[in-house]
Amino acid sequence: MMEYNDLLRSFKDNCGFGLIANIKNRASHENLEGAITALERMMHRGAVAADGKTGDGSGLLLSIPTAFMRKEAKAKNVELPDQFAVATVFTKDRKQLETIEKICTKNDLKVVLVRDVPVDVNALGAQAKASLPNIIQLFIIANSIMASERFDALLYLSRKESEHALVDDRNFYISSMSSKVISYKGLVMPTHIKEFYKDLQDTDFKISFALFHQRFSTNTLPEWRLAQPFRAVAHNGEINSVEGNRFNVEIKSESIKSEVFTDEELSRILPILQLASSDSASADNFLEFLLVNGMDFFKAARAVIPSAWQNEPHMDPELRAFYEYQSTVFEAWDGPAAFSLTDGRYIGCVLDRNGLRPSKYIITKDDTLLIASEYGVMDIDEDNIKERGRLKSGQMIGLDLKYGKVLKDKQINDYLKSSNSYMKWLNEHMIYLQEHVEDQYKSQCDFDSTELIQRQRYFNVTQEIVEQVVEPMIRDGKEAVGSMGDDTPLAAFSNKQRSFTDFFKQKFAQVTNPPIDPIREKVVMSLNTGFGEAHNILGELPSHAHRLKAISPVITFEKLEVLKSFGDKKSPSYQDFYKNATFSTAFDTDLKSALDNLVKEVITSVSNDKVRIVILDDAELSKTKRVIPMAMAIGRLNHALLENKIRHLVSLVAATSEVFDSHSAAVLIGYGTSAIYPNLLFSTVASELTKTKYSDITCTEALKSVHGSINAGILKIMSKMGIATVASYRNTGLFDIIGLGRDITNECFHGSHVQIPGLSYADIDAKLKENHKAAYNEDGFNTIFPLAIGGYYKFYNGQEYHDFGPDVIHAIHAFVKTGDKKDYEKFKSTVNNRGLKFIRDFFEFKSDRAAIDISEVESKEKIFKRFASAAMSLGSISPEAHETLAMAMNQIGAQSNSGEGGEDSVRFDTNRNSKIKQVASGRFGVTPAYLRSAEEIQIKVAQGAKPGEGGQLPGHKVTELIARLRHTIPGVTLISPPPHHDIYSIEDLAQLIFDLKQVNPKARIAVKLVSTAGVGTIAAGVAKAYADKIIISGADGGTGAAPLTSIKYAGSPWELGLSEAHNALKVNDLRRLVEVQTDGGLKTGLDVVKAAMLGAESYAFGTAVLTIVGCKMLRICHLNKCSVGIATQNQKLREEFFEGHVHQVVNYFTLLAEDVRSIMASLGYKTLEELVGRSDLLKVVNDPFAQKFDFSSVLHRVEGINTRQEPFNKPFDDNAFEKAILKDVMPAIKHPDHPVRITREIQNIHRSFGALISGEIAQYYGDAGLKKDTITMELSGIAGQAFGAFLINGISVYLDGVANDYIGKGLHGGKIVITSKNEGEEFSAGGNTCLYGATSGKLYISGNVGERFAVRNSGALAIVEGAGDNACEYMTGGIIVILGETGINFGAGMTGGVAFVYDKKHDFIENVNSELVEAVRIDTDDGDEARHYLKRLLKEYLVETSSKKARKILDNYRQDIRDFWLVRPKNLKKLPLNADKGD
Amino acid sequence: MQEYLNIGRTDPQKRLVVERVRDFKEIYEVFDKDRAASQSERCIQCGDPYCLNKCPLHNYIPQWLKSVAEKDLDFAFRLANEPSPFPEVMGRVCPHDRLCEGDCTLNDGHGAITIGSVETFIVEEGFKNGLKPQFPGIISDKKVAIIGSGPAGLSCATYLLRSGIAVTMYERGDRAGGLLTYGIPNFKLDKKIIERRVKLLQEAGLELVLNTEVGRDITFEEIADKHDAMFIGIGATVAKKAGIAGEKAPNVYKAMDYLTNLQRKNFKLTYEKKFDFKDLDVVVVGGGDTAMDCLRSAKREGARSVTCLYRRDAHNMPGSQKEYKNAMEEGVDFTFCVSPKDIVLNEAGRAIAVEVVRTTLGIKDESGRQKMEEIKGSEYRVSADVIIMSLGFDPATPSFLAENGIETNSWGGVIINEETHETTTAGVYAGGDCFRGADLVVTAAFDGREAARSIVKSLLG
Repeated sequence: MMEYNDLLRSFKDNCGFGLIANIKNRASHENLEGAITALERMMHRGAVAADGKTGDGSGLLLSIPTAFMRKEAKAKNVELPDQFAVATVFTKDRKQLETIEKICTKNDLKVVLVRDVPVDVNALGAQAKASLPNIIQLFIIANSIMASERFDALLYLSRKESEHALVDDRNFYISSMSSKVISYKGLVMPTHIKEFYKDLQDTDFKISFALFHQRFSTNTLPEWRLAQPFRAVAHNGEINSVEGNRFNVEIKSESIKSEVFTDEELSRILPILQLASSDSASADNFLEFLLVNGMDFFKAARAVIPSAWQNEPHMDPELRAFYEYQSTVFEAWDGPAAFSLTDGRYIGCVLDRNGLRPSKYIITKDDTLLIASEYGVMDIDEDNIKERGRLKSGQMIGLDLKYGKVLKDKQINDYLKSSNSYMKWLNEHMIYLQEHVEDQYKSQCDFDSTELIQRQRYFNVTQEIVEQVVEPMIRDGKEAVGSMGDDTPLAAFSNKQRSFTDFFKQKFAQVTNPPIDPIREKVVMSLNTGFGEAHNILGELPSHAHRLKAISPVITFEKLEVLKSFGDKKSPSYQDFYKNATFSTAFDTDLKSALDNLVKEVITSVSNDKVRIVILDDAELSKTKRVIPMAMAIGRLNHALLENKIRHLVSLVAATSEVFDSHSAAVLIGYGTSAIYPNLLFSTVASELTKTKYSDITCTEALKSVHGSINAGILKIMSKMGIATVASYRNTGLFDIIGLGRDITNECFHGSHVQIPGLSYADIDAKLKENHKAAYNEDGFNTIFPLAIGGYYKFYNGQEYHDFGPDVIHAIHAFVKTGDKKDYEKFKSTVNNRGLKFIRDFFEFKSDRAAIDISEVESKEKIFKRFASAAMSLGSISPEAHETLAMAMNQIGAQSNSGEGGEDSVRFDTNRNSKIKQVASGRFGVTPAYLRSAEEIQIKVAQGAKPGEGGQLPGHKVTELIARLRHTIPGVTLISPPPHHDIYSIEDLAQLIFDLKQVNPKARIAVKLVSTAGVGTIAAGVAKAYADKIIISGADGGTGAAPLTSIKYAGSPWELGLSEAHNALKVNDLRRLVEVQTDGGLKTGLDVVKAAMLGAESYAFGTAVLTIVGCKMLRICHLNKCSVGIATQNQKLREEFFEGHVHQVVNYFTLLAEDVRSIMASLGYKTLEELVGRSDLLKVVNDPFAQKFDFSSVLHRVEGINTRQEPFNKPFDDNAFEKAILKDVMPAIKHPDHPVRITREIQNIHRSFGALISGEIAQYYGDAGLKKDTITMELSGIAGQAFGAFLINGISVYLDGVANDYIGKGLHGGKIVITSKNEGEEFSAGGNTCLYGATSGKLYISGNVGERFAVRNSGALAIVEGAGDNACEYMTGGIIVILGETGINFGAGMTGGVAFVYDKKHDFIENVNSELVEAVRIDTDDGDEARHYLKRLLKEYLVETSSKKARKILDNYRQDIRDFWLVRPKNLKKLPLNADKGD
Repeated sequence: MQEYLNIGRTDPQKRLVVERVRDFKEIYEVFDKDRAASQSERCIQCGDPYCLNKCPLHNYIPQWLKSVAEKDLDFAFRLANEPSPFPEVMGRVCPHDRLCEGDCTLNDGHGAITIGSVETFIVEEGFKNGLKPQFPGIISDKKVAIIGSGPAGLSCATYLLRSGIAVTMYERGDRAGGLLTYGIPNFKLDKKIIERRVKLLQEAGLELVLNTEVGRDITFEEIADKHDAMFIGIGATVAKKAGIAGEKAPNVYKAMDYLTNLQRKNFKLTYEKKFDFKDLDVVVVGGGDTAMDCLRSAKREGARSVTCLYRRDAHNMPGSQKEYKNAMEEGVDFTFCVSPKDIVLNEAGRAIAVEVVRTTLGIKDESGRQKMEEIKGSEYRVSADVIIMSLGFDPATPSFLAENGIETNSWGGVIINEETHETTTAGVYAGGDCFRGADLVVTAAFDGREAARSIVKSLLG
């Protein structure tokens, strides 16, 4: 369990990375120089500490410079034999070297030389200097004659033993210990690494390859040992599933047999993973272990980072067999990953299945292989380039140094699939449950009605659950959608019985990793589940293919029966490796001892009776017996089995009544369940189906729908964390637990973080007892309609508390109309006297000052400045409501927030302008003028109601106005993707912030995060990425539409996140750089003052301001039928029923500010500023219920500055390059009739080119910009990221060279032309995610571009000669022409615009995601218009680029037109998605 | 659902005025299935169901509206009968415009859902289709006595019987139902409705002891000895007085006396002939629901003129607006803003007119009602053959209360623990008008239900 203090200091890291190698394995000093230059040119991908010199770490993993090492040894009179190794050690205590020496000696090795690595400390920043360890190299040789394999094995063994021996000292670290590679790394900036490590200056230091890495950590407490590369790996990205992977490595370790090490030696090596290290370090530990133990280099890489195979129907079946076989023991280390790795003989680079990190390579004619995050990190002459390409999603590239051969993905795959008879093994041994099922979804229809009602009551199945949760699943085959936020107390604080899984809040990806779109990018996702023993990972045997398989972890009764039959001795299909036993979770004693007994029983039967599938069943619930919460039983067993080292033997299955939605299923899976049979859900569905209203649907269909919904829901939950496969999700425990006791958490949910530790086994049991009694109670009050009515999702009198209940809504409506203080007081007392419902309610003030007169307190106008309305887009709410809020907030000097969806430019310079302009993942309406009109630009990374998810504006809400503002077409559904496609990691966010600071240098950039354990780490990273403001949103925030499970179960309350973020920023000395804001259910002055004390300087109000303008909490926003004219675009409702007025909003904030002032007076404080971060002025209320909980982490207070000190957090990079150009083009901006032409050389360090100038033009001319070609720029070289971002009308940029990721991001009317000597489809000329959110303009590139080309393009025209995966994703407009191959998943989520694709090989159609689009031929009469239009486009393209390919096509147009496809949305107005359900 | 934009609110069909004023039959038709379904479909199913929040019983309104829309009558019937002891009564007599329908989200211009009418439909249609609330029979050895068979008592009995507890109900009248039987006129609530419910309870095991007044026909102790708990629901039956001269004249009547006699007449029982108002000028003083009942009854009795005198204006009338409208339709004359000062007697001592003074309404007081002031010198007379005083009721305080330690407050209301409904004497519970003063049927039903909940808890654990 991670403690709070660790949480504040924890980190995530992303970076720039790469490798350089001489293909012929020739060592040279130039290789080293190249690696160092590459590192230097990726400085912007790293971060710099407050001292301006300490980086987050950078480093090199090099082939051993043999000659240099020999020279150094010789100088110390040591003559090295042929076989020698060097260990690089970080230590503060030289005595530790003796330990290593001793261990080496014991292992038949000998340390012959201890060399202090010469360093120049002047190259270090103060912080790095302070923590600088001794850096020592040990020269090691074999003590007796041994094979080199044995020598390497003993080196590894000795290193692991040394690490174990000195595990307690965090300063002790062996960065490499190998005969093949050596590490030079540290807390040093890439520009200073050579200066620091004097060795690297020696021209005798010759290497044949180098892995290099520049780190960006979210914290400012970097450590020497955390610099990368590690022993085998340099990683850019984040392993989202690392918690599960670590747990699984422990499981795998139980059954390892090695051909390299004896069992005794293995016992000295284990555990495989080093504690307290980063995700990348753990992956390195594991990969290294596999390699040292003789696992094939490529197999190891692909076992750990497999390509997506489960749902790739076009993949080579032999290759799929390889992956499926590997999946019996390996699960993906899942998440954005560009891994470069080496074992000394091979060197390679592999990309994650979804291609979320950039990895670009160049092969030169003089035998250099360079792979890096960006192009242009080394100067390579165009004439020397043989190949310029990039890795696509899931691809690998390798180099065999021994034979000097580059191995491409296909060659590697061919090798892998034929390395063993995987297909045969699977055919012979693997069993799919489906094969043995005759009729699924049949037998549950004869549901067991015995005590059904009592079971439903016990398991909290209310009428509301049946209506709100189950019915939509039956009807629509998907999870129920709701709107507005969650206004109920946490499960721990509720006085109602709640499901046990309510204590768990889903974690989600934000900033350092992206969520996935599980609908549009389904191709990478999988719920494949296997049962049976996990075998030795180091051996490949046919028998390891013995697995039972299901396509989902949620199984039907029939599948459970099949599963059972394989493990039932009486059954003819019995096989002893599937032997099963069922254990009841029912008990009549007490919870704790029942749990202990269950664990004992299971362990005995696994150890003694060889049970291999453990089925936990809660069916024995009865009048006398209650049952252990299933998650508790599973979690506890999962750990107990591991402690007994028998976890690998068994699969855990839960036959449970507790699973009623995807969240409850996900909790069970997250803590180790292989499969779930949701018996009560299925029988409830069957019993519902007896009602006449379901006469149009059969029970079988209904069960299938419900099953499908739960599956889709699980995918959604996994995807929120960026995890693609359920195998990787299992055992991750990716939940924040709120309010359970430490003992329960430690014993049952080890590894998860518990916030506000509290309830004990006895507390939980007492609630179970009470509920059990009620469930079986037969009095006259629930006999005619026996279920409880509910009240968890909607208000029901006497049931769960709702903070926006009818009384509060009535009270708000009353006082905002009158503006009367008396009416406000009524509202205030209703809210403030609600009891202990939310975290803040548990605190009361204890001021250190005497009360003062209210006249001494700062004015309400000063307080207004700290208020903002939360983001609500025009689209989600009506223009009337949107403008009312803007006018009201402007009137009092507060801020309103445009939300995602643009704003009419006629509002920009008026009192209707929103001061905050939002930039969200859909980039709707984000134009230069829009950004320029902002006082603050808010990047919405996550939204409280549904963090980790995208959104959708249904077509029927897209009116003329909304379509115009969003640059789309009326009636076309608009999809916002779950991630920002230009933020997959922290350095990406830094890039976006940089972009925005160029377009509008006067605006402050805010980043909106959602509260969760670990948000402090993220906040620190965001501050380091130069955000000016951070918003910590409570998970209770509202939404127009989101799945109910997201509204209820993702993220945590703002109090937790705010306190953690505030403290983490302080620990990292970053708080002074950023403002912190919070939102989430704030209502009265009490809320505001408490938020201030927990660290917020400003406060946003969402639901509250909606209620002020008339919202009645109908929770039907997603239906466009809001009866008060707010969440609707219906003309009648808006005109006749919207009753919001500016004065109401003004009344509210006036009374609120006065409320705040009176509290401040009572506390004796004159300014709110003084109260920020003063958690010491809060104490826990004196109440027996409050005493159960430990609120110390919320009230924790770190010393230091509590508030932002400077208005701006200035980036390291001042963009001098473009500033200079701006001066030169200024005359043309001033006098647009005099065009200018500029010529420059550009480098990859020059980022966001064009944004600064475009912003300046928008300032004066708005989005209209200048007339065509007013400013022409001719550039040569390799452009940095976001080339041509937000380029506005009137600017044309010609680049002779190539550019990196995000070309033409937000392009608005400008023209970008990129050409290069090495042109055509086979050469990469642009990076990933080009034209993201482009609204108009042109982009021509005579080469291929990366993944997600033209994602969310809504108006630009582009022509390129090849593209990667997911091209045209979410596109809503514009024209894309691709004159070459594309990757998979073309046109996913594309609802507008058209694409032409030249498909010479005739395999494009396989790549189309045909959910929304269709591909048609255009050499028909119908295609006449398109055909000639395309020709015109090509002609223009040819003029601009002189593309050889375009010329060839035009020359043979009659012939080549046959190879073109036109891709267009199937029906622009009518989509197959059910928009109302929030797809 | 959410069809409110496409379907407007329609109230159930009322019988034609000319026809309905000639008899005492109910004036509203019950919705048919389609109308009930389409009206229910208008419901927004909002996140804060204001209707059920406002309903004193917290009926499962949105839930049964959805069921009706889905034409699942059986389910709606069960939902309606769970929290409410006799939904078909509440569907008819509740002032919906002040409660559920008044708070309905759509009651801001869209037109509230016709909740009451749908409620009536559910139960009537259900009974018609053979649905019945189920009772387990007497399965406990505990026995509870209920004094008074009005809405509070019947409600309490319902939930006790549903819990399998035996109930003996003592009623001083000749029929069960209290106010439901003898207070509310038949044209609002057909007496067969009450008989049907009482019969259901009797089938479930209710022992009904009629014509038995506690303290007169049987002692409190006698009842107490035979039972494990008691519930008192004796209502508020003492008419309030105006405190003006002439009130005692023989042709000045109390509202309840009039209504009771009329009902006796309709039951074809003996009644006092003085309550035949044919061709007389009838004046009713008061503006509550009971006043409306008297006015409309008198109209049906063939009175020459029927006039209501009320101190405030139409807007401030305590009764349901719906009933006011119905009375207007039926030809009742209303005189607002007049306060009775005196009853003018003739030489024979019979009343011949009411002397009134005009009033004016001022600012709102703390309770939100406008203050009333008399206009000096504006007095005038309203002549009448018959005057009915309908000024509200206070609880009666039979001596057995005090004798058994059951305390009452200054205006005679029984004091109870509002959480448990227990009186100051352990094991004796109370609710309804005898605790609240004259109030609604639905609040009495609530008290009866909640008292039953406490009784069940204390008896069965």
